[in-house]
Amino acid sequence: MNPTGLALGVALVLGVFAAVLGAATRKHLRARAVGAVTALCGAAGTIAGISAMCGTRYYAAFPALLPLSGVTITVDSTSGLFLAVTGAVAFVSAVYGVGYARADANGRLPQAVFPLFVITMMLVVSAGNVGALLVCWELMALCSLVLVLTEHHRRPEVARAGRWYAVMTHLGFVAILAGLLVFTAAADDDTFPALRVAAHHLSPTTASVVFVATLLGFGSKAGVVPLHVWLPRAHPEAPSHVSALMSAAMVNLGVYGIVRVGFDLLGGGQRWWWLLTLALGGISAVYGILHAAMSTDLKRLLGYSTTENMGLVLIGLGAAGLVADDPVVAGLALAAALLHMVNHAAFKTVLFLAAGSVQRGAGSRDLDALGGLSGPMPFTTAAFGLGALAASALPPGTAFVSEWLLLQALIHARPSAGAAAVVMMPIAVAAVALTAGLAVATFVKAFGVGFLGRPRSAGAAAARESPASMTAALGIAVAVCAVLAVLPTILLSQLGSLASGLLRTGSPAAMDGIVVRLVGVSGALSPLMLAVVSVGAALGLVAVVRLVLTRQARRAARLWDCGAGPLSARMEYTATSFAEPLQRVFDDVVQPETDVDVTHARESAYLVEAIEFRNRVLDRIERWLYTPLLRAVSVWAAAARRLATGSVHRYLGYGFYTLCGLLILLAVTR
Amino acid sequence: MSETTYVQLLYLACGGLLLTSVLMLWRRELAVLIRVFAVQGFALAVIAGLAALHHGGIELGAVAVGILVLRVGILPWLLRRAVAAVGPASRETRPLVNVAASLLVAAVLTLLAYAVSRPLVELAPAAATSAIPIGVAVVLIGFFVLITRRRAPSQLVGFLLMDNGITAVGLLTTAGVALTVELGVALDVLLAVLVLQILTGRMRETFGDTDVAELRELHD
Repeated sequence: MNPTGLALGVALVLGVFAAVLGAATRKHLRARAVGAVTALCGAAGTIAGISAMCGTRYYAAFPALLPLSGVTITVDSTSGLFLAVTGAVAFVSAVYGVGYARADANGRLPQAVFPLFVITMMLVVSAGNVGALLVCWELMALCSLVLVLTEHHRRPEVARAGRWYAVMTHLGFVAILAGLLVFTAAADDDTFPALRVAAHHLSPTTASVVFVATLLGFGSKAGVVPLHVWLPRAHPEAPSHVSALMSAAMVNLGVYGIVRVGFDLLGGGQRWWWLLTLALGGISAVYGILHAAMSTDLKRLLGYSTTENMGLVLIGLGAAGLVADDPVVAGLALAAALLHMVNHAAFKTVLFLAAGSVQRGAGSRDLDALGGLSGPMPFTTAAFGLGALAASALPPGTAFVSEWLLLQALIHARPSAGAAAVVMMPIAVAAVALTAGLAVATFVKAFGVGFLGRPRSAGAAAARESPASMTAALGIAVAVCAVLAVLPTILLSQLGSLASGLLRTGSPAAMDGIVVRLVGVSGALSPLMLAVVSVGAALGLVAVVRLVLTRQARRAARLWDCGAGPLSARMEYTATSFAEPLQRVFDDVVQPETDVDVTHARESAYLVEAIEFRNRVLDRIERWLYTPLLRAVSVWAAAARRLATGSVHRYLGYGFYTLCGLLILLAVTR
Repeated sequence: MSETTYVQLLYLACGGLLLTSVLMLWRRELAVLIRVFAVQGFALAVIAGLAALHHGGIELGAVAVGILVLRVGILPWLLRRAVAAVGPASRETRPLVNVAASLLVAAVLTLLAYAVSRPLVELAPAAATSAIPIGVAVVLIGFFVLITRRRAPSQLVGFLLMDNGITAVGLLTTAGVALTVELGVALDVLLAVLVLQILTGRMRETFGDTDVAELRELHD
């Protein structure tokens, strides 16, 4: 057993041990025991992943473990990347959970399922055959469903979110199952090498069916529009360390599935597949960030932002597949997509954990009820601020590097890739640029309104900082974000060779020490220099302002309030008002619902007694696509109820008549 | 035992199987039904015993003994207990389909069984396999009993009839039934009967009757 296998084995054993601890230990020890052992499990997973990325592959077969197909474990460099990300997110979330879960999610069930969720995710990416992949995928979905439902007895929305999630995840599973079984039927057995061989003689129609089915299934897990509806529901309603794990690690497995099936097993394939992926990615990115910009619920905002970032990753994947005959650009696009996925995992962990800290400290996650948190919660505020910087594609931030690489790949796509690519690439560039701009607005809103200013509610005024384990976890995640922002080259060379391996091309697309120099196309970027310069410039500006412009003696006085009495928190800029201009600009797209109720005084219709204003931004895709669908389903269900009268004889009779009918059909047709 | 005697005895047992099934459609008193059921169990055990003698398998012999104990001994005894608990009103007063029609349906079902099992027989033509349609017919008649009887105990008999048919098909296919499989099935049937017996008892306590139609109230 090589280091990769050893570390993976240790991670699995520790995960199971943590689950046993969660089920068996006493209440006051539970959070600490589960948190510590799961953190070790995550760390071991990360080591296994890094070891696999460095080239130590691991292979093992357990034929007796599953009927029909057996279980094959294959950890190659692709698995390694996802394994490392999952392990790292699990490590941070578990450390955070020590402090967080003690108060909010300390039941036996959630504590026992949390480590199981981690190891099922690790197993999904380590599975080397279709049977094992499908079983682990389903186990992972069930574990996450149980975790989402943790607080169902306290809030009815949790149960509703759980229903949405359960239905969507199972529909996604059906699509994956169908796609992969069609694929397996054409192969000798269901291991990945056999599927790679089978892909060569697969008919184009079958290959397309396989790809589209798996794209839909894996895409629904990644929260791609229009299959995203569960994401902004389920991610916010889960306990925050679970939200972080789902939003930063689980959605990546959707990307894993698309990469594994599309690039690795099917080996590229037809151009329109990737055009479809690119289009879905573009729509998801813009739609997701637009709704994030309108959201006032902090965790819902982060959920929509996940849809946006997965959209960006899909743009990268689509571009890589579209220009597959141009190895340089394709490798660059794929590496950019994978880097963005890693970056997203890092900053989304920070943001969700900070949001959990806010919810716990201030008792709300409604941005319009927060504010003034920088005083009482300095660590959380600093972490969220840095996470927000990382999420908005501005120079010293984490997402900047990957989005820059993505844009480089999109711009440099050559016309030889076909007319569709030539038309799509500029549109994709526009989508990425628009997304980046909106992301800045969104996170300025989330940070500025949620954390700065004055507290808008009693809860926010009485906020207190979270315990040390939670702030320590935030610190670790922020440090990882900072390293990824400043030194992405550490990872990028690995991702470059990973991408070239997946695309079966030779040259790695991007590498070098401190400067990212693109191979084959002109372009260079030094994130470290950029960070030093921009931070230095910002500090210099502040210093200049402080020293030069405010040299006069300071004088404390009351703020000018237009003579209307002291300013109150009600007069502050809110999240809703911050998003209002954007809402106007994108009025046709989001179609907000606005109600104004004016109550007139009884004496005169010219005097107004009260004005009530309500503004809701509903998910338009949900209303147009899912509401009619659900109505049709319930009509069918009502019709089917007529079959079920309650008579036992009738039920038995259905079986009898069907059997006889089938037998007669058999006797007649044969 | 010569080939001819084996074939004659086998067909006699199969004939007994079919005849007892039809008798179950004809007679309505539960006590009689149980007696007929025991006879059918005996016919089944004979088929298993003949197969054991013919193929010379110890496993099949054990299966035959098992069938004898379960289907002639234990199951009729359990049924009798259930009926005794029900009391004197144990007669199936008015089945959903009257007797004459039931007998006609049984004939049609037997024809259907012969029609559909033709390909099965053609797979490996032999004395035993050509009796497979009888097993299938017993299954279908059992199903028919299940859906046309009102009282829970007679439905139970229909269920057991189906199981007898399935076992018969298993025995008549040349492969035979492995001991473990037969053990598993036997245990299954025993448990099902025990559960249904409890259910019948509860029904009687709740509704004062074992008419399954009463269960309609449980809808929603």
